[in-house]
Amino acid sequence: MKQTMLRLALLFCVLTPLGVLHAEEGPTLKKVNISLDQTTLRKGLNVFTDVCMGCHSLRYMTWRDLMTYPEIGLSRQDVDDLRGDAPLSARMLTELSAKDAMDSYGIVPPDLSLIARARKGHGAYIYSILTGFEHDPKGRVPDGNYNVYFPGHRIAMSDPLGWLDHDSEDEADLKAQAQDVASFLTFVGEPHQVERLAIGKWVMIFLVLMTFVLWLLKRAVWQDVEH
Amino acid sequence: MIDKMLDSKVAGWVDDRTHLIRYIRFHLIDYPTPKNLNYWYAFGSIALLILVLQIVTGVFLAMDYKPSAILSGGGFSVAFDSVERIMRDVNDGWLIRYMHAVGASAFFFVIYLHMARGMYYGSYKKPREFLWMMGVFILIFMQAIVFFGYLLPWGQMSFWGATVITNIIGAIPFVGDWLLQLVRGGFSVGDPTLNRFFALHFLFPVLLGIVVLWHVMALHVVHSNNPVGVEASEKNIIPFHPYYTVKDLFGIGVFLIIFCWFVFYHPTGFGLMIETDNFNPANSMRTPADISPVWYLTPWYEILRSVPNKLLGIAGMALAYVCLFLLPWLDRSPVRSARYRPVYRSLLLIFFVSIVVLGYCGHHPVTPMLTVVGRTASVIYFSFFVLLPFIHKFEKTKPLPEDI
Repeated sequence: MKQTMLRLALLFCVLTPLGVLHAEEGPTLKKVNISLDQTTLRKGLNVFTDVCMGCHSLRYMTWRDLMTYPEIGLSRQDVDDLRGDAPLSARMLTELSAKDAMDSYGIVPPDLSLIARARKGHGAYIYSILTGFEHDPKGRVPDGNYNVYFPGHRIAMSDPLGWLDHDSEDEADLKAQAQDVASFLTFVGEPHQVERLAIGKWVMIFLVLMTFVLWLLKRAVWQDVEH
Repeated sequence: MIDKMLDSKVAGWVDDRTHLIRYIRFHLIDYPTPKNLNYWYAFGSIALLILVLQIVTGVFLAMDYKPSAILSGGGFSVAFDSVERIMRDVNDGWLIRYMHAVGASAFFFVIYLHMARGMYYGSYKKPREFLWMMGVFILIFMQAIVFFGYLLPWGQMSFWGATVITNIIGAIPFVGDWLLQLVRGGFSVGDPTLNRFFALHFLFPVLLGIVVLWHVMALHVVHSNNPVGVEASEKNIIPFHPYYTVKDLFGIGVFLIIFCWFVFYHPTGFGLMIETDNFNPANSMRTPADISPVWYLTPWYEILRSVPNKLLGIAGMALAYVCLFLLPWLDRSPVRSARYRPVYRSLLLIFFVSIVVLGYCGHHPVTPMLTVVGRTASVIYFSFFVLLPFIHKFEKTKPLPEDI
């Protein structure tokens, strides 16, 4: 026993320093509470369609999905108001054409369907970007394009929520908007995640019970074997 | 009840014509096993279960997956779209895909423990040398399969991982360029690569299944080793069923708890099983800052990376496998189990640590410090095999018991 503990201690000594060996990348992201309840997701959807969708698309979401996923569960009337002339089966695409985007920003804004999954930090990354606009301390990057959390700090997207130089009374509201949209995009990245967690709970309960029964069975069968 | 079924008239009719019942009895029921096998011996059964799970989930995924790198708009491709369709629109597609992705990691985790068990108890020694070599062959096969499979979602890591790894082939003298183009189906990784990798990802598991069956049949010729490492006498032998069927079932239960915890609560395995960057569609114009293979390949990747010369690096990686193959002949001690071999035991544990360190280094971007650590771990990896033929000369083994 003593020997085993000694060995474990040795292993620990070897492995722990490894954690500090690799270079840390980028600033620590802000903490955000991602919530997948209907109220938050609907608020996030509103921010998305009002602000983000001016430039960004959700190619993996259709207008109908806003009705069929119970997590959002909009009524047909709500969806009709949002989609305009687009058919229900149409993807949620921005009206900004790629050419206009290139002319204005020099880049085609990325599709946001999977943005929460495709960035380290996930929801916290989105939240941090939206609330990460500052004045460039070196004065090189124009205001609205300097972002502490973006790799290289220069981002083509110019401060969508108006975070830079916001009044102190707006702060809570802007933070809430950023949090809502981060939550919404987290949902969009994996729309079955609520279902997954809900099923998972029962699967775990079942497996623990089943394994316990198997353990009893094993004990009963092995009773007559000396070992 | 099982006995009744196997003795029934129908069973007899089938057995007279195919020997099926005989095989079932021989391999799954009467198969004689030492009674002292611990839970480390459950990993074989668990691995078999995962193989079946991978094949079943894989077939269902293939029904909805489209291996095409043709762009579908906005930088996305048909293949990437089809994976997202599985995740969103196919009934329980997300569950099937997560089981398949987590299953790949689980397969390697279990196989690595299975091999560690074999090394610790000296299960590779006579008469089980061939069994061990088949096992190493299975490992290499599995690595080829995941390599093909990881390209299929056609994300950034799929694309660049495949680019980096296939580039290795190009370093082979004389035939490298030709071989590289043959594997890729072109000058760079692209649509033809994706198509052939999909075909191979389907073919290889079938071959793997055959080798695994052979592995099991070979085991049932030479029979299981045991933690003590001496042959068990008749009175200490028990039939596989019911003793080890229930013991393995309990092991499988514990495994499933961990497996499903990942599937339902952490399906990307904290970015280790499905890498975060792989949710970005493949883009040949944008190289990721850091390209690293999935965790189960990183120890071998790090050995490759530790050698400054590309060709020698490949040779080093190949040698790492060759050493494993030759293990039964490199180790010349007559004693099997590490329980009775203090020197071998210490060396083996250091060897295991070196593999973990190699895996860690291979997963992270190169820094001067990590390079030093990685190279040291590589040297330790090979030192184990270099020292192995000599330690029996001075190792004082503990006295072996007569029986288990």
